[in-house]
Amino acid sequence: MSQTILEAENLCKFWGGLKALNELNIEFKDKQLHSIVGPNGAGKSTLLNTLCGAYPATSGVILYHGKPITHLKGYEFCRTGIGRSFQKTNIFHNATCLENCCIAAQQRIGGSFNLFRKRSTNRKIAEIARSALEQVGLGARADTKATEVSYGEQRQLEIAMVLATAPKVLLLDEPMAGMGHEESQTIISLLKELKKQYCIVLVEHDMDAVFELSDLMTVMVDGQHLITDTVDNIRNNPLVQDAYLGNDDEVF
Amino acid sequence: MSIFANKSEKIFIYLFFAIGLFIPLFLEGNTFYINKFSTIIILAIFVMSLDYLVGRTGLITLGHAMFYGLGGYIFTILAPEYEAVNFWVYTFYVMLISGFIALIVGLIVLRTSGIYMIMITLALAQMTFYFFADSIEYGGQDGLFIYIKPETSIFGLSFLDLDNETHFYYLCLLSLFNCFVFFKIIMNSSFGRVIDALKENPDRATALGYNIFHFRLIAYVLASSLAAYAGYLFALQFGFVNPSMMSWDVSATALVMALLGGLGSIYGAIIGSFVYEGLHYFIEHLTEYWMFFMGALIIVLVLTLKYGMAGFLNNLSGGKRS
Ligand SMILES: Nc1ncnc2c1ncn2[C@@H]1O[C@H](COP(=O)(O)OP(=O)(O)O)[C@@H](O)[C@H]1O
Ligand SMILES: [Mg+2]
Repeated sequence: MSQTILEAENLCKFWGGLKALNELNIEFKDKQLHSIVGPNGAGKSTLLNTLCGAYPATSGVILYHGKPITHLKGYEFCRTGIGRSFQKTNIFHNATCLENCCIAAQQRIGGSFNLFRKRSTNRKIAEIARSALEQVGLGARADTKATEVSYGEQRQLEIAMVLATAPKVLLLDEPMAGMGHEESQTIISLLKELKKQYCIVLVEHDMDAVFELSDLMTVMVDGQHLITDTVDNIRNNPLVQDAYLGNDDEVF
Repeated sequence: MSIFANKSEKIFIYLFFAIGLFIPLFLEGNTFYINKFSTIIILAIFVMSLDYLVGRTGLITLGHAMFYGLGGYIFTILAPEYEAVNFWVYTFYVMLISGFIALIVGLIVLRTSGIYMIMITLALAQMTFYFFADSIEYGGQDGLFIYIKPETSIFGLSFLDLDNETHFYYLCLLSLFNCFVFFKIIMNSSFGRVIDALKENPDRATALGYNIFHFRLIAYVLASSLAAYAGYLFALQFGFVNPSMMSWDVSATALVMALLGGLGSIYGAIIGSFVYEGLHYFIEHLTEYWMFFMGALIIVLVLTLKYGMAGFLNNLSGGKRS
């Protein structure tokens, strides 16, 4: 069995009285794609936001390679190797696609406090950025402004930016949301490649994609962990069918 | 790749500095206009530093004049009263000390943002204003006088006599040029990349691992010490400092100039300062209700020119918005 990279122990996130995450225990292993499904408002995005340090946890512990990282500042999570893509497209619209990835890569390569070195002269950063774009299939769009590419391409760019930070863990929040069939297929084949190298946590509503991609699945309901199991077992689990997959209509 | 963002900027900068270099030859002896130009150029440095802060970094301040005033006060307080000190050495002191003050102030004000930052910068500037206005030691409302201007020798060679209006004018022009080039360099740098990112989307910049506070702090310190440098030049030109230099309407007027020029365009600060002061000068001579007409005109200009005069020039030259 592969190694556990990221774990949450009794993780809680409360919004006032609302328990968006309630005593959650979960672990994510290297080179696996672990999906999180559940109805809207189950707390999936909140879980990703807490795991990546964007929201401080109300209580509980987050462990990275067995070491607690709960106390780290928001910006330090990325540096430890936890990369995050957003449900709502969250890119730098005024910059080109390449520049978007350069911003991501520069953090790791360094030199961000250099006031005088021309940004375009850093070859290494540009190389990383370009290869991240190529990895997601956006190589041809490198010099196009991010506002000018299609919605689906913006979603791909979102992933490319995360890759450019060279993470160990990828937290992906609905990467296929709002995409057409063809674009989704691009992302699915991309994720199949990526899961050979990374620990991927995927929140996704497209159940076909989830079943096709996942090594493990977790079902969440009302901020609580319902079950974690393999795709086949989840499909056949009566508890899950009752709580969530039971009726064949909308899953979200 | 040049340092210019677009064609209109390039044309403007070449034209402006070419004309700037030769204009004293045509104004031979007319010290009134030479002084007037020096004043506006000093103002343009101040407005440029504010434009960088507001337009490039996204930090909106209403207290920038505090550093303008401090620049003048730091020099006047530090320099011995009846002795010509060295201009360059004191430039260094003024910028270093104001930079240090900006660091402390920045540590406080940059914890806030938006309307709260506007309020707290305004409050701090007003506190500083009243501190000097009420201080007997620093001359209260009347401020302090500078009896002897600094000398400008470098390694024993002196080219500039600050008592000579034309020389002083060239010093101001050179300062504006350096300031412009400095801002263009840091905007194109690796640091500028992070500043662009955090201005557009601070949360994403944080998610990518940047501690945006540090970058904002550096930008704040740089812009503030350049504002102080402008205030230092202003004090040298007029031979005195007083608290009105740091009053809130100096900050507000500078903000209007930056808007007029085209927020975040940097060279627009030069246009904004000259257009504002030019209008001021002409309308003032036409009517005693100049404030009213000026206000109305500014509102119309700011509303019709979405990206300021810089944006307007850029459209004229057929360039894309950058
Ligand atoms: N920033 C926030 N402030 C207050 N409540 C929030 C916030 N973010 C999410 N919530 C609440 O937390 C619950 C879980 O939301 P979310 O994690 O977005 O669910 P999901 O992604 O599974 O649809 C919802 O009830 C939502 O209203
Ligand atoms: Mg969600």
